[in-house]
Amino acid sequence: MSRKVMSKIALLVIIAMLTAILGACGGDTGGTTTTAAPGETTTKAPDGSETTDAGNGEKVTLSFWHIQTQEKQAKLIQDSIDRFVADNPNYEVEVEPMQNDAFKTKLTVALGSNTQPDIFPHWSGGPMIEYAEAGKIADLTEYMNKDGYVDMFMPAGISQATYQDKIWAMPVENLAVAMFFYNKQVFADNGIEIPETLADLEAAAEKLKAAGIAPFSLANKTKWTGSMYYMYLVDRIGGADVFANAATRQNDGTFEAEAFTKAGEKIQEWVNKGYFNEGFNGLDEDSGQSRALLYSGQAAMTLMGSWIVSTITSENPDFLDNLGVFPFPAVEGGKGDPSGTVGTVGDNFYSISSECADIEGAFTALTYLLDEQAIKDRVADGKIPPINGVQLENPMMQTVLDLATKAKTNQLWYDQYLVPEMGDLHKDTSQELFGLTKTPEEVNAIMEAKAAELAG
Amino acid sequence: MIGSKLFRKIRRVSPLGMLLYLIIGLAALLWFVIAGMPFFHMVLSSFKEQFEIYNNGVFAWPEGFYLENYKTVLQGGFTTYLINSIIVVITSLILILFISALSAYVFSRLKFKLRSPIYALVVACMAIPIHVTLIPIYMLTQRIGLYDNIFALIGPYVAFNLPLSIFILTGFMMDIPGDIEESAEIDGCGKIMTFFRIILPLSLPGMATLGIYNSVNMWNEFSFALVLTQKPANRTLPLAVWEYQGQYTANITMIMTVLALTALPMIIAFIIGQDKLVKGMMVGAVKG
Amino acid sequence: MSPASTRSLSSRQRSIIGTAALFLIPAFVVLGVYMFYSIFDSFRLSLVDWNGVSPDKTFVGLANWQELIGDARFRLALLNNFKVVIFSILIQLPIGMLLAFFLDTAGKKANVFKVIWFLPLLMSSVAIGFLFKYIYDPAFGLISPLSRMLGGKNIDLLGNPSLALFAVIIVICWQFIPFYMVYFLAGLSSLPVEIYEAAIIDGATRARYFTAIALPMLKNTFINAVILSMVGSLKYFDLIYVMTEGGPSGSTELMATYMFKNAFTTMRMGYGSTVASAMFLIITFTSLITMNIMRRGGDK
Repeated sequence: MSRKVMSKIALLVIIAMLTAILGACGGDTGGTTTTAAPGETTTKAPDGSETTDAGNGEKVTLSFWHIQTQEKQAKLIQDSIDRFVADNPNYEVEVEPMQNDAFKTKLTVALGSNTQPDIFPHWSGGPMIEYAEAGKIADLTEYMNKDGYVDMFMPAGISQATYQDKIWAMPVENLAVAMFFYNKQVFADNGIEIPETLADLEAAAEKLKAAGIAPFSLANKTKWTGSMYYMYLVDRIGGADVFANAATRQNDGTFEAEAFTKAGEKIQEWVNKGYFNEGFNGLDEDSGQSRALLYSGQAAMTLMGSWIVSTITSENPDFLDNLGVFPFPAVEGGKGDPSGTVGTVGDNFYSISSECADIEGAFTALTYLLDEQAIKDRVADGKIPPINGVQLENPMMQTVLDLATKAKTNQLWYDQYLVPEMGDLHKDTSQELFGLTKTPEEVNAIMEAKAAELAG
Repeated sequence: MIGSKLFRKIRRVSPLGMLLYLIIGLAALLWFVIAGMPFFHMVLSSFKEQFEIYNNGVFAWPEGFYLENYKTVLQGGFTTYLINSIIVVITSLILILFISALSAYVFSRLKFKLRSPIYALVVACMAIPIHVTLIPIYMLTQRIGLYDNIFALIGPYVAFNLPLSIFILTGFMMDIPGDIEESAEIDGCGKIMTFFRIILPLSLPGMATLGIYNSVNMWNEFSFALVLTQKPANRTLPLAVWEYQGQYTANITMIMTVLALTALPMIIAFIIGQDKLVKGMMVGAVKG
Repeated sequence: MSPASTRSLSSRQRSIIGTAALFLIPAFVVLGVYMFYSIFDSFRLSLVDWNGVSPDKTFVGLANWQELIGDARFRLALLNNFKVVIFSILIQLPIGMLLAFFLDTAGKKANVFKVIWFLPLLMSSVAIGFLFKYIYDPAFGLISPLSRMLGGKNIDLLGNPSLALFAVIIVICWQFIPFYMVYFLAGLSSLPVEIYEAAIIDGATRARYFTAIALPMLKNTFINAVILSMVGSLKYFDLIYVMTEGGPSGSTELMATYMFKNAFTTMRMGYGSTVASAMFLIITFTSLITMNIMRRGGDK
């Protein structure tokens, strides 16, 4: 008897199992294939219990992701939001700081299933355009223009946040431009003056090399680090328009323009002459391998975003007195304006999800990230909020700010400016330039082919 | 003490044997250094102040035993993450071991028509890359209302470790001599009884290996923990390093502290669990 | 055969199938919910052009697959993956086996060794990645001084396209040898003590016991180790991503890192899914074929 019963039970269970599997699959397929309708926010879990009506005094919950994980910065944002909630008690904000790379993965998953948080950061440029095109982020123009709020910001920051004449994000965190940061002691020991021109820079490099010191410290596993040299060379040699034209496919722009070739050749010349530290393509900026060289005096300078000042403040404060800064020198005969900078006027830009039930409320929350107190706190933390007339205490940051305000042009980092596919290709090819595994012409051809392909 | 015993042993063997012992001993020591050194430096770094890493080099001895890192980490959310990790790993582990033992028994000891294709299906599941499953599993988790709940992790953890566990355990069970089982069946044990009374105890070393391997895997698992949980109260240990990793920099000594603390429970678990990997213990189990 | 015996045979078979079904249900429910659907979804997305953000997924048929076939980067990744497979099997398994023999012979006395030898598997990829980046660092690392001591120059391992993959493989092996050690140790432990005792009484040396008696008895364990190493190497992601991100010049690109970049960095979710589906097919077939060949070879 038992066997008969058992086989029957087994059969039943198999059927149950199959229906469970098929059921699960069927249910899932339903959700993912129908490209989630805009109104379908019932399962919008990151937002928690989101109420659709904001006006009638009910609690509104907003979800807010950011990537300022380090203690002071995380607290700064939490404080801002706390002030917002204190002033607007019908709001509740779930603030989730997360690590940069983790954030990118998590945001991709959330966007892919239309469950992005109400407020989240990005770096403007290509990805922001994709979000805007896909209708994932709200148009903030109306709110920004209200009572001239927008006038508070540096125009360059606003233009970074603008796409098709609409403002899609608020520049908040930091004005950061790439400059040469150098070890004063090493410069003094070798009798080196601050270079004004590329020839000066190369002469200094020769001197340093002869003294057994690597002129430039570079950790290029990270790729965007080496890209900074390339971007400046292109800008100084060909002017600010060369890249913009090539990227936007306007005015017959092309990635095979002479400036790109010359910049690539200059980099390879420097690599061949041994201006960079050994093994740079395998070193990681995030692990501090380039800074370790600078600290120890084994390398003299590094071309890096101005956030390096606050990085050094937290990881090696004793070194600050020994840290000097100068802008990327002019290139003799180059078309570019020597005042031009490469960098970002905002770093983190915050956008509001188009799915957000209370965009106006979320925008009000955003304004607290740059209220008087927040501006003060950011300055104290060694940052330059992207707003007009900010008062700085740190002289080195003042140098950065002066340089940025005087700059006739500012080029956003290529990898953030370009659509992600192009941006990544640029980083890869730039690393290959440094590694001497591709010639400048080959790199240009690859970039041009992809740009042409994407332009259709 | 061990040394004197070893010495007594060495005296009994020939000169050639002695040389062999020496070589083996040196190789074992060499591997001891190679295997232990990075771990040692991880722990050492956790006792350094942040600037020391760069000023004195990563491999230098700490200037003084700096305990602030540990204080800071333990004052943060570490204990919450630890408890979450323990709950998730233990629950998942029990499920994995039980379910995989059942399946492995079928694949190793029972003969029926569709066995090979079904087994191939399990092997195929080992080939699924984790990152493609993130979005579908995320959406599934949202739909069943488990999002941002540590129990959301158990399903994917069991599913991802199951194919490999079944595979390994099937291999171990295949190596159990067939006559043991036959004699049990003659004694009147049904298949299910045989499984629980004979096969399961004999598979203990294999199960212990799996237990160790799976718990290490889940203990350090990052992707699902990232995607399926949200609030700090629901995070597991691998996410604990976030607080010390900024956009352009990382507080390395603090991260090493977190990681050293994270490894500690696993080391203790291993010291306790590795006993199961010693020859002879299963014999008693069979007799009993 | 008498009718009675055939009936009992078929009912025996039925009981086996009943038990099999009952025992397999839990596994297949879990796999069905989490795995079968995911891989199905991945194949579905491999047929669309989707940036992961836009509400529109354009059906493009096999265009992604066509692109994949002509994709030099994917071929490079596949080749690198197979290098990882070969070196992993050649390095991890023998060393793991030797360590297991040592521990099996030494028994409880060697517990300190067992614990220390096990540590690499316990460390998270973040820590391993950081420490080995510095171990390999030409200026501050441990390899360059060693090379200088032997009269050589500083060695750049991770920045050199022809050495980087090998440098990372060494770390991967270092990380996974403890797994094979524990795995083989479990195999050795499950051999009945009587066999060992009988062998020793017969005057066999320990070395002979391992090669002539233990090893053949662990045939299945060993075959499975090869398959495990193969599948693991073909899927490998963690340390490569932490240490090199596939660079320099793609020299350490693996299928998994390439897939991740497409799906999560360059916003090509459709193509990323294609790479993932291809990975799935390649790994499944390679492992099934290897398994069949080895089983058959072992039977002879």
